Amino acid sequence: MISAAVKVDRLEKTLGPNKVLRGISFEAHSGEIFGLLGPNGAGKTTTLRIICTLLAPDAGSVNVLGFDTRTAPQEVRRRVGVVTAEIGVYPRLTARENIAYFAELSGLLDGRLRQRVDAVIERLDMASFASQRAESLSSGQKQKVAIARAIVHDPPVLMFDEPTSNLDVLASREIREFMVESKGRGKCVIFSTHVLHDAERLCNRVTIIHQGRVIASGNTAEVRGSRQDLEDSFLSLVESAT
Amino acid sequence: MRATLIVYRKELREILRDRRTLIAIALAALATPVILFVVSQVSIKTAAQAYTIGYSGNIPAGLDVLFNATGLKLERVDDPAEAAKAQVDIGLAFNGSGVDEYYDPTRQSAQVADIRLQTILGRYDAAKIAATLQEKGVDPSILDPLPVRTHPLSSPTQAASNAFLSFFLPYILITMSLTGGLSAALDSSAGERERKTLESLLLTPAPRGRLLIGKILAVTTISLAAAVASITSMLIALSQISFGFGNGQDQHVILSPLAATVMLWLALLLAASFSSVTIALGTLARNFRQGQAYATPLYFITIFPASIVLFIPDFNPGSAYYLIPILNAVLVLRDAIVHNSIAWSSLAVTSLSLILTGALCFYAALRLFTREALLVRS
Repeated sequence: MISAAVKVDRLEKTLGPNKVLRGISFEAHSGEIFGLLGPNGAGKTTTLRIICTLLAPDAGSVNVLGFDTRTAPQEVRRRVGVVTAEIGVYPRLTARENIAYFAELSGLLDGRLRQRVDAVIERLDMASFASQRAESLSSGQKQKVAIARAIVHDPPVLMFDEPTSNLDVLASREIREFMVESKGRGKCVIFSTHVLHDAERLCNRVTIIHQGRVIASGNTAEVRGSRQDLEDSFLSLVESAT
Repeated sequence: MRATLIVYRKELREILRDRRTLIAIALAALATPVILFVVSQVSIKTAAQAYTIGYSGNIPAGLDVLFNATGLKLERVDDPAEAAKAQVDIGLAFNGSGVDEYYDPTRQSAQVADIRLQTILGRYDAAKIAATLQEKGVDPSILDPLPVRTHPLSSPTQAASNAFLSFFLPYILITMSLTGGLSAALDSSAGERERKTLESLLLTPAPRGRLLIGKILAVTTISLAAAVASITSMLIALSQISFGFGNGQDQHVILSPLAATVMLWLALLLAASFSSVTIALGTLARNFRQGQAYATPLYFITIFPASIVLFIPDFNPGSAYYLIPILNAVLVLRDAIVHNSIAWSSLAVTSLSLILTGALCFYAALRLFTREALLVRS
């Protein structure tokens, strides 16, 4: 049996007056794209934030490549890269300086640092604007900077939280291609989205959460079942769970 | 501490590319000499200012010479009381039994002219009495049974310049230590949240405390640079500008090396504390503008203790006052400038108090920077 790269076990979390997670469990493996699906407010972002140690769970546990998020948060952060819809960059730094800053904070040193920064710039086709200040970049270019800083330390687990929601068609396609390429490199890719068309095309397995609970989980084909597409299945599941 | 150094370098690089911060520091450094030049011109002009006395009747012989020698210009008027309301600074009506003086105490020029007038009239009276006594064969010194010989322990003009420095330096020191790095502090805290870079930063393996220290050190550096730039420009200006501090002498104001050293040390402690406070406030804010709103009251809170000392010239506090942050820095700096000496115990208590304050501010900033609400609120 393949051991899970990310194992989420009965997660519970309350934020302010809202019980956001009510016992979420799933596993994601290396070499697959795992879809975390659900409507807005279902708890997807909170789940991802707990996985990458930004938030602590009230109950339950998360294990990333053998490291518990509570007891070894720094080890977990070394192994995780996160790309969100928010493509905030430091405007007065160049694209290269933005990437190098996060590479340094991730522990990369001199020679390896330059090598990795150059590698991600080449991989994401950023050479033409790498020396420009981030304030002058387009949204698509900024998204590339955001991806580059998330992967510059070559993490085995990549998480994408609604990564295409602010992007045009071309930039969205590049993101999708990047996820597929990462899967091919043996990475564990967790893709959180409410765009079910993307999920159906990309994900090997999915988990659908609604109001903090898992309402379906399995291979994408299994979850779709006899329905025409994943969207039909999703709507049916959400309606019956409400 | 590698993460701290990385953040420090990055923050400084960003700050030095930020026009807002650089312009604020440059303006502060340039504004001080300009203000001082204006102050010097006003003080010189005040010292050399001629005031007008409107008079009626006959001026006693010799008195007009004294008036002219001390910058009191005489002008004959019909009604001295009416003229003293606006036309002249003082009205004098000479008559057989003496002189009636008319002046409006709400006018500053009238006050200054009155002081000069009283001095001249005193001298005139003394000279007339002495002459009368001599005519009668009496030694005039009987009018001065207890002659006083004054021995100033420091130059009166230097004392005036010290008083000037003790007024301006603490004010500039505190203002620049706080405001010099304010924009940078808010940019590296509230700005981080506003730009949506905070989450990515906290996702790195670097411990949050070290990230925070890097930010505080960078802001402290800028605050200190702003304070030093402003005070240096002020001292350079003071060495070039003459002030009319009375006695008819122009005087250049000079800061002693002791006071300069103490000032630098205090600037460092103040800048470190203010950096922690402003970053903590910025961490509470959702954006730069909200951070500015939070920080505005801080300016009044911090400047208030300095005002006590500045506007109560003979404020002589007990040693317990040196425990009060900011006020203690002002007191130590005032002592160093005015008396050119340091009470080392006061400096030690002040330093301890400011270091403790800085540590508390850092702890508060760290608590804010490490709580979950930091992300949830964004």
